[in-house]
Amino acid sequence: MKNSVSGRTAWLISAGGAALAAALLRRWQLASAFEPDSGLAIPGAQASVILTCVVVMAGAWFILLALRQTPDPARRWDMVFLGTGDPVFPGLEAAAALLALLAVPVLFVVGVGQFQLYQAALDAGVQPPSNNGMLTLATAAGSLLAALGLLQMGRDGLRPGRRGKGGFSAALPGVAGCVWLMESFRAHAANPVRWDYAPQLIAIVAGMAFYMDFAGMSAGSPRPRRLLWLAGMSAILSAASLVSTLAELSLLAGGPDGALCTAELGDALLLLSQTLAAAGVLWRLPPSLDRPARPNSPRPAGEQSIQEETTDE
Amino acid sequence: MEGDNRMDDKLEQMQSGPDPENAPPEGTPAPEGEQPPPKAQRDGSASRDLYLNVRVLVGMMAAFVLLFTFVVRVIVVSGPSMESTLWERDLILVWSLGYEPKQGDIVVLTQERYQEDSIIKRVIATGGQRVDIDYGSGTVQVDGQVIAEDYINEPMRLPNWGEGVNHVTVPEGCIFVMGDNRNHSADSRHPDIGIVDNRCVIGRGLAVLFPFSRWQGL
Repeated sequence: MKNSVSGRTAWLISAGGAALAAALLRRWQLASAFEPDSGLAIPGAQASVILTCVVVMAGAWFILLALRQTPDPARRWDMVFLGTGDPVFPGLEAAAALLALLAVPVLFVVGVGQFQLYQAALDAGVQPPSNNGMLTLATAAGSLLAALGLLQMGRDGLRPGRRGKGGFSAALPGVAGCVWLMESFRAHAANPVRWDYAPQLIAIVAGMAFYMDFAGMSAGSPRPRRLLWLAGMSAILSAASLVSTLAELSLLAGGPDGALCTAELGDALLLLSQTLAAAGVLWRLPPSLDRPARPNSPRPAGEQSIQEETTDE
Repeated sequence: MEGDNRMDDKLEQMQSGPDPENAPPEGTPAPEGEQPPPKAQRDGSASRDLYLNVRVLVGMMAAFVLLFTFVVRVIVVSGPSMESTLWERDLILVWSLGYEPKQGDIVVLTQERYQEDSIIKRVIATGGQRVDIDYGSGTVQVDGQVIAEDYINEPMRLPNWGEGVNHVTVPEGCIFVMGDNRNHSADSRHPDIGIVDNRCVIGRGLAVLFPFSRWQGL
């Protein structure tokens, strides 16, 4: 990274490029790395190997990017996401909140449907399905929490005078991720093909860790460089996972039922929400880690207001 | 990222103020010459504690799910096909990481053309071995040798779907499985299950975890 390239530009280009590459490779993997009749993974398939390598190399590159940036010890980390002149971060968080909110009715309908099927089997005295819909309903409730948390994160980015109050709201999507993770695991517990679901599980875990580090920025436990790394990895893994979720969704939508309101749609909305939230962090945090600007160079948008708030203390 | 953590720890110390463990309990009057911490700092400490507790819980949840995805599984037995080795609702621990099926192992597998849920069976033969089932004598031969099966529940009879798959050489990379309760088991003899690809195997049953009265290795 040359000095002329700002941290923000480097992170956005790197994460965006890697996410695009991961998504394209996942698409290639879906087309070539599974047996067409059984759906079993072909051992050593090129697409699977290259996808793994790209994700690992991106992780290593993000570590290098993070190490090149030296946090300013005098900075108020609970103020980092406050930027009254910067509409991008609140905008991205608000969009992420909206997507999480859209997932609520979808998952709720799916969960109720699963519960009704389970009850019907019990009433008929036949072996009920292994899924009673409870975890899907809990994921719907978790998505609502996540939406509220993301909305609050966006608001905290807009409103001055709310220093240090945004900590736990950022933890809400992380906590909601626990339920989503359990539901995702349950849905694939009997699937022997780990490539079918491992990317999604790892994407959810990366998202949970990223949200928790985000919350830590306002809760006296800042890990700015690790947060950047996790945001980058969340974006990449979510993008790769989104491709397979959308592929499943298009299969279901094109099937005999033509059902669109499925758990896959809920997953897709939540993955997209996570990606946007991560993009918001990659947009807002790197300027706070850049080395002090030269006297005449302009500050990134939003920095002015943060500095003013800090010096008020 | 060790350097990163050191720097981050320094930042953390600067912002969290005095060490909460050394702070006097709430309500204790401050010693002469010392001022109690301002309210904002106390609030910050409480939110930090809450945050750290939630972070530990979230981290544990993530670790558990990753462990149960890539290393082990816990499976509840459903159906009578493995009686009297395993019973309905037994909770068993299954090892997944790097497992290659071996003859005699109890394995959990999924054969989607039969059912979406996983099934649990015993490996009778692996790739390259010849299996011959003789319903007349109730014996199973592997590579021409009758195998000793002290684990089966009762003498084997002809299943209600007919002879099914009963004389076969198992292809490489595949296994032939049967339930210990032969007369109530849909297994490799069933035309919809047949020979099972090794990649359909989720893992090997290690132990019965619950009920505790029947805790045993498998």
